[in-house]
Amino acid sequence: MKVSRRRFAKTGSAALVGLSFKGERTMAGSFVNDSFDSGHRLRDRAAFSPVQRVETFPVVIVGGGIAGLSAAWQLNRRGFKDFVLLEMEREAGGNARSGENEVTKYPWAAHYVPAPGPGATYARELFEELGALRNGRWDERYLCFTPQERLFLHGRWQEGVEPATGLSTADHDQFRKLDDLLAGFRARGQFTIPMERGLGTDAAGLDRISFSAWLRAQGLDSRPLHWYMNYCCRDDYGALASQTSAWAGIHYFASREHEDDGGTLTWPEGNGWIVRQLLQRVAPFVRTDRMVHRIAQRGRGYSVLSGTTEYQCEFVIFAAPTFLAPYLVEGIPPLPSFEYSPWLTANLTMERLPASADVTWDNVVMESPALGYVDAMHQSVRTHIGRTVWTFYWALADGSAAQNRQLLLDQDWRSWKEAILRDLERVHPDIRACVSRVDIMRMGHAMARPTVGAIYDPARRRMAALQGRLLFANSDLSGFSIFEEAQYRGVRAAEHVLGVVGGSAVLRRPTGLR
Amino acid sequence: MDILLFVSVLLIAACGLIYELVAGTLASYLLGDSVLQFSTIIGCYLFAMGIGSAMSRYIDRGLAYRFVWIELVLGVVGGFSSAGLFLAFAYARGFELILYATVLLIGVLVGLEIPLLMRIVRDRYDFRDAVAHVLTFDYLGALAASLLFPILLVPYLGLVRSAMLFGMINVAVALWSTFLFAGELPGRRGLRAGCAVALCALGVGMAEANRIAYAADENIYADEIILSRDTAYQHIVLTRFKDDLRLFLSSHLQFSSRDEYRYHEALVHPGLSAVPAPRRVLVLGGGDGLAVREILKYPQIESITLVDLDPEMTHLFSTHPMLTTLNKGSLQSPRVHVTNADAFPWIDDNQESFDFIVIDFPDPTNYSLGKLYTTAFYRAVARHLSAQGVIVVQSTSPMFARDSFWCIAETLKQSGLRTYPYHLYVPSFGEWGFVIASTRDYTAPTTLPAGLSFLNVAGLPALFQFPPDMAAVPMPANRLNDQVLVRAYYRDWKDISH
Repeated sequence: MKVSRRRFAKTGSAALVGLSFKGERTMAGSFVNDSFDSGHRLRDRAAFSPVQRVETFPVVIVGGGIAGLSAAWQLNRRGFKDFVLLEMEREAGGNARSGENEVTKYPWAAHYVPAPGPGATYARELFEELGALRNGRWDERYLCFTPQERLFLHGRWQEGVEPATGLSTADHDQFRKLDDLLAGFRARGQFTIPMERGLGTDAAGLDRISFSAWLRAQGLDSRPLHWYMNYCCRDDYGALASQTSAWAGIHYFASREHEDDGGTLTWPEGNGWIVRQLLQRVAPFVRTDRMVHRIAQRGRGYSVLSGTTEYQCEFVIFAAPTFLAPYLVEGIPPLPSFEYSPWLTANLTMERLPASADVTWDNVVMESPALGYVDAMHQSVRTHIGRTVWTFYWALADGSAAQNRQLLLDQDWRSWKEAILRDLERVHPDIRACVSRVDIMRMGHAMARPTVGAIYDPARRRMAALQGRLLFANSDLSGFSIFEEAQYRGVRAAEHVLGVVGGSAVLRRPTGLR
Repeated sequence: MDILLFVSVLLIAACGLIYELVAGTLASYLLGDSVLQFSTIIGCYLFAMGIGSAMSRYIDRGLAYRFVWIELVLGVVGGFSSAGLFLAFAYARGFELILYATVLLIGVLVGLEIPLLMRIVRDRYDFRDAVAHVLTFDYLGALAASLLFPILLVPYLGLVRSAMLFGMINVAVALWSTFLFAGELPGRRGLRAGCAVALCALGVGMAEANRIAYAADENIYADEIILSRDTAYQHIVLTRFKDDLRLFLSSHLQFSSRDEYRYHEALVHPGLSAVPAPRRVLVLGGGDGLAVREILKYPQIESITLVDLDPEMTHLFSTHPMLTTLNKGSLQSPRVHVTNADAFPWIDDNQESFDFIVIDFPDPTNYSLGKLYTTAFYRAVARHLSAQGVIVVQSTSPMFARDSFWCIAETLKQSGLRTYPYHLYVPSFGEWGFVIASTRDYTAPTTLPAGLSFLNVAGLPALFQFPPDMAAVPMPANRLNDQVLVRAYYRDWKDISH
């Protein structure tokens, strides 16, 4: 992995500085969905307009990602309809946002959910309601089609992302040893999804060392093995294995049943499909373009300020990223242990597939600093695919997060586009002749990083406990951003609201304010 | 001088016969029925020679000059005849007209040769000797040509280049004659220039023979490619060996006109004849219109919807004379509605119901085609089935791809259908299999349409019997998220083809 990291630095900067445009077709595109401005206004505690009108709701949900939408879904499902969800962006969805052009829908961030096992009750309830799970069987149209994943190494593609070709006997033995170790963790049942279900104190030691240190402590030093572990950490956590808590690294593998058990749920627009399904049910409660800039205690409840409106409520479900809380809520101390990884995703409109491509769903290149690309038309039932969209993922895992955030802001679209195309040129030399458009989304705080100590961090555990009338629900409270955790925390927060005061008159107003 | 003159006679005789043999061979390969083709070509050719001989009496002056011209023109026309006819067959209408016009022209020119030559040499020899020598070498040339043609020329050069080679020899004789008859030729320089140009043209033709008619330079004993087309979706190749027309889609054999009736009768009738009062039929794939041809044998059927991905395929089988002869113009029947669409999305978006559904896709050779053999697809298809309806699925070979065949049957079963697998022998394919699937019990029909060549009611039960070497093997169902079928198919065929 060290090699590829160094290469990242080299190729990254070469691509950013070099910039040659020999014989390139005109390629359209731009940065999309930028939200730096509003975020930075919060950070800099800019002045906001005075309140002009007041609305009253028993419950206000702050943030319209999976956690917030799931809270809304649960409230609505339980017949409670007197609430509002405030979303900062023009569209709800958060890390599950998606886009659509004349070719296909495509994801902007999260693009799959491993079919939730029996322990993920809420997630299974949702998928049953959405028709993806019937009589214990997943609808095959929502499961990732064959062929699923491939890895480019030693100059050719292999099936699957775990390196399997060109391994020495020692490498094989180490992969097998790691499998056994992980099977042991799996059997013990401490690594669960949702993670809280199995979280005990006896695994706390694993949270005190990094994943790569833990691997070495087990005598695992195989380079392909470390590459793969690193790749998994970059892919799921936007972090290197050396930055990731060993607990989280193990959780990635030990929390799920064996891979081929349930399969992987995915859609052309990624988890945007789930967002659309949730919005079909809760859209009337969702107000977009509503950035909350202040949450203050007011009597028993809270006052939530957004624009010129004050929302007075009994309960706040805070489903936005938790690191925002100190900037919004009075009395919340800074949260230094909450770290987030900067990400870049790009959607490439492909007029045709490169000559070398026999594209699978997920395509990973070992030598690349990026995470590879996903083909949006893969889940199409068409037999003949002409144009398509590739979603290119790049977690800026190496180096300091702050510097990488600055890099995201400093480099213009053209530079990033070049860096992306150069990366793809490693395996598709004719890529430039195929791409007509490159749209790029920059996310400064895309995913929570389960750094060493993050899982058992007392501050995080305190925020995660549902207490009082300000309830935190973002997936970052689990230490990492995955759909199941977000959905679980959103539903749990809604349950808490309904449970604590379900029978009280406050929540039973005869008319809503819609 | 003498011997060189008679060698010229031998050569031009050989050239004449080669052109005739080329035309005859080409006609029988392209049009089939070699006895008829050879007879008519030879007849036409000899008749034209008679015309040529008769015309020779109207040539009074400049005999040597005209002789050289005739040889030159003959060399060019004969030399390019084969390539021209191949191109005409591929690209022009009225091939037979062009063929016989060419044969007629060559015959007339050849018919002029000997009478003119005899008159040129009559002053040099005694008449008796002239006739004897000229005709002797003429017949010797014919013998040489008729032996060379099948043994050396066709196998090693092919039809296109053989004709060109002899065209060049013909032009060389013309050139040589300008020296031979130098005394009687005033405009020698122009003639020699003409010969040089003709030789160059034929030389280029020889070198480019592959491109002029890629089909023709192949070993003549392999099938002639009479149509080769790259569409947006596949590579369509039509070959013909005598009266056997074969269609290949992306290198996979789709049918041979000699035995396709077995395949298509077996594909359609066991299922369709078992449906009480069928009115509406859906055919998925099958752009060749051959299954539709069988379905049209049921007068009570009101509407047949054919969904095939490739518009060029259905257009070809609606318009090409050889192909519409084969499918009896089925795609142009007013009862048939052709839709060019990807089958899976079409099935998802369509709301109609059908009494009989034929699924006749190419074999599951890749994951794209494999989607059309999944439980998801069969479930979607089954939603279009009327209460009494029956589905039949092309299911590869239970002999050569046993796992694949039974995987398809299992996939249909796990899609909630009752399955009735059967098979038959198709010489060009080997043992081939189909699966009938229905939501109700299926019983073999007690009547079949009249005039079938393969199926009869008594023979039906045997189709459903599988001998031990093709008997069912336990296989998982093929699903979108786990395409076991494509892997099995790959294994099955790899085992056979080493």
